[in-house]
Amino acid sequence: MPTFTYMSRCDGCGQCVDICPSDIMHIDPVYRRSFNIEPNFCWECYSCVKACPQHAIDVRGYADFAPLGHSVRVLRDEKTRIITWKIRYRDGRLKEFTFPIRTTPWGSIKPPFEYAPPMAGSLSSPLLAHEPEALMVVALPALSALGPQH
Amino acid sequence: MFTTNPFAALTAYMSPGLLQGYIILMVLAVVLGTLYDLLHDRKARFFFQERQQSKAAATRQLGAGERMLLTLRTLLIDIATFGEFCNRSRRISHCLMFYGFVLYLITTVVMVFAYPTDLAPPAILPALWNLGVLMVLAGGYWFFLLLRVNVVHDGQPPWKLVRADLFIVILLASMTFALLFEFAYLAGYELLAKLFAGFYILSSTLLFISVPWSKFAHMFYKPVMAFQKRLDEATGASDLPTPQEGAERCPPSHT
Repeated sequence: MPTFTYMSRCDGCGQCVDICPSDIMHIDPVYRRSFNIEPNFCWECYSCVKACPQHAIDVRGYADFAPLGHSVRVLRDEKTRIITWKIRYRDGRLKEFTFPIRTTPWGSIKPPFEYAPPMAGSLSSPLLAHEPEALMVVALPALSALGPQH
Repeated sequence: MFTTNPFAALTAYMSPGLLQGYIILMVLAVVLGTLYDLLHDRKARFFFQERQQSKAAATRQLGAGERMLLTLRTLLIDIATFGEFCNRSRRISHCLMFYGFVLYLITTVVMVFAYPTDLAPPAILPALWNLGVLMVLAGGYWFFLLLRVNVVHDGQPPWKLVRADLFIVILLASMTFALLFEFAYLAGYELLAKLFAGFYILSSTLLFISVPWSKFAHMFYKPVMAFQKRLDEATGASDLPTPQEGAERCPPSHT
């Protein structure tokens, strides 16, 4: 279900180019509007659909299984932290669903370089970085009581 | 220098009648070019299809007053102040280019037709002409060097030119040569003035006859689409969800 751009709505701001995790949203050299350069590689993550300030990007369903005439449109508002979906079914029914935005606010994640460097001894530990405190447990369960013969 | 009619100076190289005929030809070129673009790229057909779909999807009809209000909002917000843009820099640069170009066009037509050989017309005309040219150059070079989306967001080098650059490059060339011609003429550099006059006429001709291949006509299409967008929202034909109370139109840009 790849994305496509309504050229008449796009104003060529480049937000979709920046946010696309697959790096397939690019700028058309003739019209200076965004377009999907490789629809086969689209993950349907909706990142560009949500980020577009002009709501110029939509996702098309493959004709062999997606119901024709449907639409899935979204408004994501970071200020109110609410995301609303409008679904149009093939029979014309319309439904709107509103949810809180559950993703971490942009810029609030601590980057790796802000953490203290790990101890050299951590290399031989079976624990991953920031375990167990990042998992919010005191300690991970251990299997040491059982020998390898079991 | 801002009080001299540059077109009276241009009549040293071509007759006033020829200059007036040239302007009429260029207006015709823009009209025909836009019509060709509308028909050849099926833009008119696409727009009317969209219009029909919107009419069919409308859940309420608008009265004459509401339509008038929408038209006014489109004029004041979307056209006069380029409210569509969420990026402030792009908005200001487009305002500079648009108003500068309009000033330039109006004063050019007035000076060529009303004061064809008068080197000192009412001072306001050449002053506004120069102001218009400077506004286009300020907004245009700002856009071209720092704001082009394929350079800023798509990682292309600033010197790479694509077909979408045709309009901005020719526009900047035309305005730059207009100003250079004026400088050279007033400074008394005869040969340079003649050279820049030639480049000015050449780039202006390219600007107006390249409409079917350039982005010139987008200044006519955008207001129509902006009005249609507002109409869709008002009639319930928009396929977007209903905005939440207090929601902002432009999401913050994180990049």
